[in-house]
Amino acid sequence: MSGGEGSKALGPILRDVKGAHITSTRPRRSRVDLPADALPALLELLKGRAGFVHLSAISCVDWMDDGQFELVYHVWSYEMSMMVSAHIRIPREPGVYLSVYDLYHPAAFFERDIHEMYGLYFEGSPDMEKFILTEWDGPPPMRKDFDSEAWVNDHFDWQDYRPEWLQELEEDGGGIAIRPDEQRFSRRK
Amino acid sequence: MKEIQQIPVAQASRTNPFARVFDELTAFCRSRSMFMLHYCTGCGAIELPPAMTSRFDMERLGIQPMVSPRQADILLITGYVSVKTLKRVILTYEQMASPKYVIGICSCTVNGGMYWQSYATAKKLNDYMPVDMYIAGCMPRPEAVIEGLRGLMERVRTGEANGWEDYYRRYDYYLGHQQRLFGEAWQTPTNVIQEAEHYGLAGPETEGEHTALLRQHQQPLEPLEMRIGLKERV
Ligand code: SF4
Repeated sequence: MSGGEGSKALGPILRDVKGAHITSTRPRRSRVDLPADALPALLELLKGRAGFVHLSAISCVDWMDDGQFELVYHVWSYEMSMMVSAHIRIPREPGVYLSVYDLYHPAAFFERDIHEMYGLYFEGSPDMEKFILTEWDGPPPMRKDFDSEAWVNDHFDWQDYRPEWLQELEEDGGGIAIRPDEQRFSRRK
Repeated sequence: MKEIQQIPVAQASRTNPFARVFDELTAFCRSRSMFMLHYCTGCGAIELPPAMTSRFDMERLGIQPMVSPRQADILLITGYVSVKTLKRVILTYEQMASPKYVIGICSCTVNGGMYWQSYATAKKLNDYMPVDMYIAGCMPRPEAVIEGLRGLMERVRTGEANGWEDYYRRYDYYLGHQQRLFGEAWQTPTNVIQEAEHYGLAGPETEGEHTALLRQHQQPLEPLEMRIGLKERV
């Protein structure tokens, strides 16, 4: 099945899912926006009726100003050669959502990763232990309110890089135009 | 480095007039047979294969890779060290037999390089372990790596590369930085203070508030359990 037909073929499946809004972004890609509680139903239908058996990734976006997390489930169908990304938004506080582990087993890793990086909790996920950041005790680092730069300045020292030849240049009025400590992006006006 | 040289070190008086000749010979030989430990921490490591293989052929200088820390002289830190890696790097460094040398390759080891803003990357390697030579660049070409190694060889020959002595003399300083990053419960399986005493390098700065903290919670070291055969699954 080729191109736009794929997206059209999704229509009848999605009719059963409440509030799903489908956009065809590219010939073999579709984006589905839907309310958070309808997601398991959608994935179940996609997997059962249209052969979307491959969950390629779950990604997370932190919309701090809206107080929401966006979760994107990317599923792929080998039969239709098509990718569907299902987008849901959940409240940032308390940041809890259902695990889709029972539908897609690889979800365990993605959920564990998101739990670690964003602090989201997935109910029913087999393992919410630390994954990559095993020795990290700070806040979840991918949240937008984590100030990486402040953390760095707190925990590390900087090399004082002022060799003699540079000092000579500076005395002559030359040298580095913007000093590294002024160049930090967050401090730039 | 200057302050190290000012610390008076008791020199055993030598009676053999040829002793110095042998010292120089030893230093020369040591500088011409450098076994480097391959701890490829970051992307800069990719410059080592070309430096080692036919075109630049590091081995003609007497430098060759070595697989285990026990037999290595140089620890190459080739690129960014994340906090997690840094722990392992320190464990590796402490396992190496003295004299040992550290080379920091890449800008990342100098000041975090392009990861200056990353919460996971240690910035200043010489806070945590003594670095004898930095080779800056992102990433330095094999010529630069070889140039740096030659520089180190020269410093080994003349006895200037003495970072490892610094680690024993000022262990408290290094341990302090390690504890700041890894937490107060940080403990390595090597008893550095005892080693410092063994080498006769324990000085006033070997011990201090940080080593006192270490002693408070230091667990006695136990040999790892050896098992032959597979563990039975329950
Ligand atoms: S200095 Fe550049 S090449 Fe070297 S580790 Fe850092 S990013 Fe990689």
